[in-house]
Amino acid sequence: MKKMDAVVVSGLRKTYGKTVAVDGLDLRVGCGQVFGMLGPNGAGKTTTVEILVGLRTRDAGEVSVFGMDPARQGREVRSRIGVQLQARGLYPRLTVKETVTLFASFYERTLPVDEVIEQVGLTAKARTVVRALSGGQAQRLGVALAMINDADLVFLDEPTTGLDPQARRSLWDVIRSIRSRGKTVFLTTHYMDEAERLCDNVAVVDHGRVIAFGSPSDLISEHFQEQAIEFSNSIPSVREKFEKLPGVTRTRFSENGATLYTRDVPATMAALMQLATGDGIHIDDVIVRRATLEDVFLKLTGRRIRE
Amino acid sequence: MRTFWQLVLANARDIARDKMSLFWFLLFPVLFILLFGFIFSNEGTPTYDVGIVYESGNPLTEGLVKGAGAVPVFKIHVGDRGSEIQALRKGKRSVVVEAPSQSFAAMTGSGDPLKVHVYYNETEPTARQVLVPVVEQILNEAERQITGRPKVFDVVAEPVQSMDLRMVDFLLSGILAMALMQLGLFGAMRAVSLRERKVLKSLGATPLRRGLLLVSEVVVRMGMALIQTFLIVLIGYVVFHVKILGSWLVLLGAVLLGALTFVSMGYMLAAFPRTEEAGIGLVQVVQFPMMFLSGIFFPVEIMPSFLRPVVNAMPLSYLADLLRQIMVAAPPEYSMATDIAVLGGWAVVSFLVAARFWRWE
Repeated sequence: MKKMDAVVVSGLRKTYGKTVAVDGLDLRVGCGQVFGMLGPNGAGKTTTVEILVGLRTRDAGEVSVFGMDPARQGREVRSRIGVQLQARGLYPRLTVKETVTLFASFYERTLPVDEVIEQVGLTAKARTVVRALSGGQAQRLGVALAMINDADLVFLDEPTTGLDPQARRSLWDVIRSIRSRGKTVFLTTHYMDEAERLCDNVAVVDHGRVIAFGSPSDLISEHFQEQAIEFSNSIPSVREKFEKLPGVTRTRFSENGATLYTRDVPATMAALMQLATGDGIHIDDVIVRRATLEDVFLKLTGRRIRE
Repeated sequence: MRTFWQLVLANARDIARDKMSLFWFLLFPVLFILLFGFIFSNEGTPTYDVGIVYESGNPLTEGLVKGAGAVPVFKIHVGDRGSEIQALRKGKRSVVVEAPSQSFAAMTGSGDPLKVHVYYNETEPTARQVLVPVVEQILNEAERQITGRPKVFDVVAEPVQSMDLRMVDFLLSGILAMALMQLGLFGAMRAVSLRERKVLKSLGATPLRRGLLLVSEVVVRMGMALIQTFLIVLIGYVVFHVKILGSWLVLLGAVLLGALTFVSMGYMLAAFPRTEEAGIGLVQVVQFPMMFLSGIFFPVEIMPSFLRPVVNAMPLSYLADLLRQIMVAAPPEYSMATDIAVLGGWAVVSFLVAARFWRWE
């Protein structure tokens, strides 16, 4: 028997007044994976999550979570999922442990409170009141609340936003541990590297639509056979010379730098060095790297994800 | 049930750890009672300083001291003529009485009435109007005893309950009503704050039933109302000796009804503003007129008649009246049935408006 998909969305639409937040969005999330919804702020990620957990109504389209419609069976859906909301509000004067205990009382089956607090690394802060937590600690508390009912599907809306690199990494470990228990994680992020390292599948969204869907490596190789050469250079007049270098298929220029996508790194590099030494064109900070999801987004939208 | 108690516990903890709200709900009404109680408890019955020019051996002077001493509002001072008149001039006496110094035998012998001089403070209006006749009355009584004339009338003073109502009694029940109003109105602003901080939203992402959340909030408010009542009644009893005349059970019912009415009104007001600050502004607009026009600090009768319709529309007028009747058996402003009906009406209407316009986010 084919395993049921955790989330299926088709043709989802939601407008706020004249603003179209979600504009015909389609998604399919299989069980047991970390799924990432990747896109810039305002792409409709949070709205989609809030519709999926039954906090908002949709204007059009079909939505199913474990085969149920969150708009009609909200309580059943919410009892089978865990949710961490972006900018989640909690009782400011309850401690971490009291908060987790309170949320545990909303579900029939829960994990032990102390165990969940331990998993998100807040054991030392268990007796601290919520409003005294740092941003990262509050985010981890939010994740703990999403994990408390040991749900088969956990929604995490921008879980690592505002965290320092170390805190982000430790939260990634928590997310991987949820997956290792056979659960599905549905997360939204605007960090390309996060999606690339953490997610089994990503949907790249922009302006309320999915513009690319697949595993990060498939997406990259689908759009780029090339590798990228990056360097800083602030003279616009020489851009044409870079475009004509051997092997270069695409170029990107910003105010003080350039990215060349090439099928033949040695040939392009040799020619680039020739330009620098022979013609005296100043280039600096040269990096050769493989293409990333950031490059995919750039290729598809013409914009960087955080601009 | 476990969910419900966890919610009650969470709410109670969150409120109890908020020092500002503890001040407003517990300390503020207590300070009010102490402040106003002490201001008004001295004013209860005025006393007058009465000076008597004393001449030892003069039976009339002795009789005067005895007679005036029996008047409860008189504070008797005795001294020679010079010092008593001096005290009167300094405003330390309201009246000074000087009896004639002739011997008793000479007094009764002559046909002319003896002159008793009563000096009074001209700037004190009550001295002429009240004190001089009282002194005359004392002398009449003295004369009757001397001449042995039988008494025709005897005045028997009979206290009636309403006359016994002190200012403190009046205030205490009023302040309890005020405290319940503030508990309900300001308490509901917590819901605005929870909405503003997206606490309601994050609870909405769980299978928790929202009705249960609301019920737990109301239950916590009721508990706080009972604590407030206990505290206010206790301080009234210990500090100002205000005894609860009515039944405790009836008082409990009235307190819960009052708290429910104002919690309902609070949620009605909480339905509209987006921020806690705007909500508190709105509550101030509603509670301030009620505080001063509902007979909390002074009786409704002394207010100008054009304000009466406003007074009659305010639920606090009825709660104060109801509590006053139950606690200190005050004369009713409205009938108890009217009080209960109006409070219940406000509760129901507010609840319906709140339910209609309530937003969770």
